[in-house]
Amino acid sequence: MTKWLERRLSPAQSPTALALTSGGGILAAFIVSGLLFLPFGGNPLTAYGFLFSEAFGSSRGFGLSLVQATPLILIALATVVIWRAGLGYIGFEGCFLVGAAAASWIALSGTPQGLPWKLPVEVYWPVVLIVTFIAGALWAGWVGALRVRFGGNDVLISLMANYVAIFLVQYLVSGPMRAPGDLPQTPRLPHETWLPLVISGIKTHWGIAIAAIATLFTCWLMRSTPAGYEIALAGLNPKAARYGGVDVARRQMSAVYLGGGFAALAGLCAVLGVQHRLMDGLSGGVGFIGLVIALLARLNPLMVIPTAILYGGLEVGGSAMQRQTGLPTSVVLILQSLVVLLILAGDILRYYRLRLPVRKATPDTLVEKES
Amino acid sequence: MTTAAPEVRVALNRITKRFARVTANDKVSMTIEAGEIHALLGENGAGKSTLMQILYGLYQADEGEIVVDGKAVTFRDPGDAIACGIGMVHQEFMLVQPMTVVENVILGLKESASGVLRLKAAAARLQALSDKHGLAIDPWAQVQHLSVGVQQRVEILKLLYRDAQVLILDEPTAVLTPKEKEGLFATLKSLCAEGRSVVIVTHKLYEIMAIARRVSVMRAGKMVETVAVADTSETDLARRMVGRDVVLRVEKSPCQPGRTVLHVDNIAVRDESGQQKIWRASLKVAAGEILGIAGVEGNGQSELASALLNLMPIEAGRIVLEGEDISAATPAQRRQKGIGFIPADRREVGAFISLSLEDNAMLGSQRSFTKSKGWLLDRLKIARHAKEIISRFDVRTPDAQFEAGKLSGGNLQKLILGREVMQKPKLLVVEQPTRGLDVGAVEAVWKGLLDARDNGCAIVLISAELEEIINLSDRIAVMYNGQIAGEVEAAKATPALLSELMAGGSLNNAEQQHDQVA
Repeated sequence: MTKWLERRLSPAQSPTALALTSGGGILAAFIVSGLLFLPFGGNPLTAYGFLFSEAFGSSRGFGLSLVQATPLILIALATVVIWRAGLGYIGFEGCFLVGAAAASWIALSGTPQGLPWKLPVEVYWPVVLIVTFIAGALWAGWVGALRVRFGGNDVLISLMANYVAIFLVQYLVSGPMRAPGDLPQTPRLPHETWLPLVISGIKTHWGIAIAAIATLFTCWLMRSTPAGYEIALAGLNPKAARYGGVDVARRQMSAVYLGGGFAALAGLCAVLGVQHRLMDGLSGGVGFIGLVIALLARLNPLMVIPTAILYGGLEVGGSAMQRQTGLPTSVVLILQSLVVLLILAGDILRYYRLRLPVRKATPDTLVEKES
Repeated sequence: MTTAAPEVRVALNRITKRFARVTANDKVSMTIEAGEIHALLGENGAGKSTLMQILYGLYQADEGEIVVDGKAVTFRDPGDAIACGIGMVHQEFMLVQPMTVVENVILGLKESASGVLRLKAAAARLQALSDKHGLAIDPWAQVQHLSVGVQQRVEILKLLYRDAQVLILDEPTAVLTPKEKEGLFATLKSLCAEGRSVVIVTHKLYEIMAIARRVSVMRAGKMVETVAVADTSETDLARRMVGRDVVLRVEKSPCQPGRTVLHVDNIAVRDESGQQKIWRASLKVAAGEILGIAGVEGNGQSELASALLNLMPIEAGRIVLEGEDISAATPAQRRQKGIGFIPADRREVGAFISLSLEDNAMLGSQRSFTKSKGWLLDRLKIARHAKEIISRFDVRTPDAQFEAGKLSGGNLQKLILGREVMQKPKLLVVEQPTRGLDVGAVEAVWKGLLDARDNGCAIVLISAELEEIINLSDRIAVMYNGQIAGEVEAAKATPALLSELMAGGSLNNAEQQHDQVA
């Protein structure tokens, strides 16, 4: 048995190896969760049939998956940019909420009907996007400045800043921006300020375009500009970057601004695209899930989109599957967690090479072949 | 190979070790006799470290056997090797910094059945061992307060405490000052007098000539030959190691200094902890001239290099480049004004080991490999530039997309040298350019530096290797305790004179020009 596996000196880096290990991890997660369905009398195959047909089978379901994926993509991109610059910032919940609050404030600045300050549509959208972006950039920026200028612990400060943002939104929705009524929430945003649907009848809104453009921008920035090259250098090794003539503090700060802005746009998509009002508990952990997506995508901006859509689909399809089969709600959560865990655990396989003594044995799907 | 020799303590018979598709050791045989200092010589990547790690139980051989005191043994881990009396001192020390010497030495031993730690008894035994071999160790000192040389002695004591009969030392002199080196050699000789065997893994020829009795030469995973040191010479060993003739002395054209490029005017530097590292140092370097900075490490040379590129701020004084005061310029600005720098730490500072050769080739001049008014990187231009460095400086690599960290030290250094030289700097600051490199790479780096000099570049060469300083420099300044202890013409410099300056002597005894002792 041990003869079949040979340890590599460095992990296999080829796209095939990555796809095989990740795919194997997902498959293993489905198999293990499927076993959990059995005691509840659920048939794993029909259950998964529901899941996939609901999440990816119909245009309506796939549209919902895209809606779920939109904020995740933006937050994952934020993580990619900031973490590549060498920071451990995790305050994306805060950026998301601040962005949502800023977008709601702009949208509510008009009369109950119509665009704020009677702006024409072609002016309203740049204004709301830019203001939201700046709000998020500043929110991430103060934490980034504490780290970059004064050497503070950015992980801890950004985590704590999340709570500040949560309380800030609680204050806004129960004080200055509260709608008359029992619930702590703002009035419904005027219909004109919503993100329009891409195709009527399907719930996908134009936020997915924002996410796609942000992805293309991030790829372009990191791959083909000197600024992106310098951001990556600053993150890989600040000492060597300084030697190479990079202003490390400046590059790290620009990455923080960009990441904070992206996360805030995720908040904009949530209020203008889905909820259509600001309320307490809006984020629901999306800032952390986005971070996990970025890690699953191995901080590669292009990989973020498929990963986020897969995760969004699991959420949409998982809850449909749970409704259909009557399985406990925790089952969906277990499935999602296993997918994350096993994809990450699959990394260990990349340190091995499979050596089959005789070709007749069927290769184990989980072990990647010589690439 | 030699079978008739008396008292063979360890014999490695036809050891083969493969890593994936690389054969690191190919049927290597070697014997270690009792009471000898045996040198294992080879270029980087020749397989000497792998062989020793097999002997120490870190790796297992795919084929072949290890015979200790006449019995064939298998080592599953270093614990087995130590039980057979074989111990190893690694290049990077394995010491717990905040703990005392005695705690470090007994770490991992389970000698008392009761489980009670008997530190005092251990310390007494340690003291006795230390006195016997003249190691001068205080068992109760904290390791973090000890100098590198002393830490190495603690590592040796660790092995002696476990009663190791065969001591393997991997590049033991790489981190030592000349004086510490002498101390180490004396210790090793006293160990051999007791009948213990010492294996030194190294690529420094003159050290082998100084202390070893026999030397085994490895090349490309194979054992070339084992010879008695008395029957060979440095040039002979170098040829066996590289497989061809190597010039250890360089041919250089006479120096034709131009106008002054760099003027360091009375600078002072403190490190992060506030210690004064440089105090009133002044230097002048002209175009087409190599100024060698000699000195025992830690006397301010690396701080001088950092100050020249502003990786460390200067406290006082001025740095003038071609008549322009650049004391306040950032590292990026200084690079633009024409300063190149080859740092001592090529893996952590000089290059990004996880990036490709191409990405490393543009480091420091990323702003000039652009199109669209500096907004986009010009990948084609970068690729061309990388290829040119690779071919001009003979960087051995599969292709330009190869990860820089996977290059050998010599090839990585050639890449860094090529990158800095191709930018045609007015001033090149070079720190320990050949540390840890094999003879072939040293030759290439030296040649690259001399070519740059002949093309009119001013070079500040900081090196702890006196051989290198004397061979390359046109003038030599010696640093001692943060000051320039003296400056001599290369033609008049002898190792003896430089050693005296390095040890804090003054230039009064030599009839020299301007005396710069501040």
